[in-house]
Amino acid sequence: MTTTIPRVARRRTTSRSTGRSGAAVIRPSFAWAVPATLFFVLFAVLPLVLVAVLSFTSWDGISSPEFVGVDNWKALIHDHTMIQSLWLSVVITVLGVVVQTPLSILLGVWAAGKQRNRAVLSAVYFVPLLLSATAVSVLWRALLDPNFGVPAQAKWLFGDGNLLGMQKSAIGVLVFVGAWQYTPFHTLIYQGATRAIPQVLYQAAAIDGAGTVRQFFHITLPQLRNTMITSMILMVVGGLTTFDTVLILTQGGPGTDTTISAYYMYQRAFKSFDFGGGSAIALVLVLVATIISLIVVRVSGYDKMRSTSEGL
Amino acid sequence: MKKRAWLPRAVAGGVTLVLGLTLAACGGGSGSSNGSGTFHVLVYGDASNKVEKQIVDTFNKTSKVKAVMDTIPGADYQQKLQTIINTKQAPDVFFNWGGGSIQPFVKANLLMPLDGFIAKDPALKSDFLPSVFNGAVVDGKSYGIPMRGTQPVLLFNNQKVLKDAGITPPQTWDDLIADVKVLKSKGITPIALGGGDKWPTQMWYEYLYDRVAGPGLFEKALSGDKSAWNSADSRKALSMLKQLVDAGAFGSNYDSVKYTDGGSVALVATGKAGFELMGSWYYSQQQQDHPDFAKNGLGYSAFPAVAGGKGDPNDVVGNTNNYYSVLKKTKYPDAVAQFLKLMYSDEFVKAQLAIGNLPTTTNTPQFLSTSANPAYSQYQYDLVKKAPSFQLSWDQAYPPAAMTQIYTAVQEFVDGKENADGFIKAMQALPTA
Repeated sequence: MTTTIPRVARRRTTSRSTGRSGAAVIRPSFAWAVPATLFFVLFAVLPLVLVAVLSFTSWDGISSPEFVGVDNWKALIHDHTMIQSLWLSVVITVLGVVVQTPLSILLGVWAAGKQRNRAVLSAVYFVPLLLSATAVSVLWRALLDPNFGVPAQAKWLFGDGNLLGMQKSAIGVLVFVGAWQYTPFHTLIYQGATRAIPQVLYQAAAIDGAGTVRQFFHITLPQLRNTMITSMILMVVGGLTTFDTVLILTQGGPGTDTTISAYYMYQRAFKSFDFGGGSAIALVLVLVATIISLIVVRVSGYDKMRSTSEGL
Repeated sequence: MKKRAWLPRAVAGGVTLVLGLTLAACGGGSGSSNGSGTFHVLVYGDASNKVEKQIVDTFNKTSKVKAVMDTIPGADYQQKLQTIINTKQAPDVFFNWGGGSIQPFVKANLLMPLDGFIAKDPALKSDFLPSVFNGAVVDGKSYGIPMRGTQPVLLFNNQKVLKDAGITPPQTWDDLIADVKVLKSKGITPIALGGGDKWPTQMWYEYLYDRVAGPGLFEKALSGDKSAWNSADSRKALSMLKQLVDAGAFGSNYDSVKYTDGGSVALVATGKAGFELMGSWYYSQQQQDHPDFAKNGLGYSAFPAVAGGKGDPNDVVGNTNNYYSVLKKTKYPDAVAQFLKLMYSDEFVKAQLAIGNLPTTTNTPQFLSTSANPAYSQYQYDLVKKAPSFQLSWDQAYPPAAMTQIYTAVQEFVDGKENADGFIKAMQALPTA
């Protein structure tokens, strides 16, 4: 394997030097793509197709799946929990983006600087990302216990501490815990992107008399545009598939107040053993995530990949 | 050119082959391991496995056909069981909760009725308390042999809190309401409730429905007669529960409290709450989390009687027991029958009592003094023995498909998000086998 790469490369140069035409000769054989394609087909395309097929069946996991036509889909349309769950997914995703983006931009830009304490604080700040989402949820669950956690000590702020017992505060907790864990990741992305901004821009701005704040709004932010979109798409996809925090913190409760689509899918398939209905929800989720990603890409012009370093 | 491409192709081919083989291996698995004179016993993986292992060892000492014990860790048990039960990897004998938990398997024609075994050895039935044995009877046929301890739900209390407030464990519903008012006026949460887990909330419904309407109402509803939920008794039970909630019995933040993370357990142990309705495993939980309190301050009583109610005040609800059920496809029914007979042996009873479980065999009383806490064991045993009816928890009596809907309904009604009509409608929509 190790010898192949130089061999192919060498061949490429020789063929070019001998003047043989045709890119087809130069391009590495399709065989190179087979392993990756195979993995993708086996573990992504095939399951997706199977889920699509399952969504037209009634299957409890014991007997063989029974074809029921569009029954699952019809039921979904009239299922108010499903409609509510989509709405909740969108709310949690949007709140996640709104909370995490400004925070991670500010932190990322700060962490890209050359302050003395920067490295240490950045490292500390990175820790939440290293923990599993489940562990983080268990931790916050204990910290937010109304009788023995923080709310019991700060009644002026939390009232009776019924944070997970009411819809608004439960959503707030989910967004907060998500942000606590994933902001460091996006901070890291912004830190890298900020470092890549050419210093000449800042030097020129400084000569023109722009202060730190103006430099931030007129140089840093526009330069981070593409990074912002990358980070937002990651947040959207992550937000729509939020699962572990809901499972540990609220279990979709109170009632169905935080039953987001991904959790509802799990509930239907693996708690109620209705794999047909669960598959239909899964497909809806795939569709919604695809549409939202496409919209983000279109609206932002990400597909055109305009460079931010034009004229440099 | 032909020469150049051989390596990448070989690599790709190799990868394909390896992948194919691995996947094939996944599919094949250990299907043939049932062949050579063994049968598999699948058990819910937890601390009680010690006893199950011991019984399997005892069985293997004398039997030619050997039993092999497999476990699946707690929370995933039902899911994993559901996925393997109709495959080659399915066990011969498996742990379950009786009632609705095995109903889908009975319907799929996978389970062996044990009436044949019982005809040959009547003790397989007569040596168990009837209210418990009946927990695994489906459509008049027996499908399970009790294989662990019974877990009735009791009303636990903090003796010191009650004493300081000048009250005693309630005998009647009116006593309970009065106690709630006294405790509330003293700034103590009257009753701890792990509402975040949802199933502890369900226990209040189970007992109230039983006390008000008797066990018949739920049996009727479970058998598919949805009008039961809309009966006058059903509405009365709901209004009584509402009355309790409105009296502030559970405080206001119970939905943020869980039993499973020790929240409600600590409330009672630290004297911040007076009562908690919970299964008999509560005692060992307190022993583990708050040993001093379990020893000196933990009191318990039966659920209060309801004046004018149709249910017998001696009725209990909870987990009747766990059961071993047998799959039809087993190759060694005779060996399995011999194995099941050990579930009423003296050795089994003693081993269960030693780890704090309370078996439900008729020979249990003679060993009660050897239990970890004889008084507590005796109390429970008498409670279960004299109970005319032992209602299996609703979430386990219904097929697994109904569980999340039950949880949502019980939580939303207690929270006031749904009124009685909403609750009744939700319960009527449940799938009934």
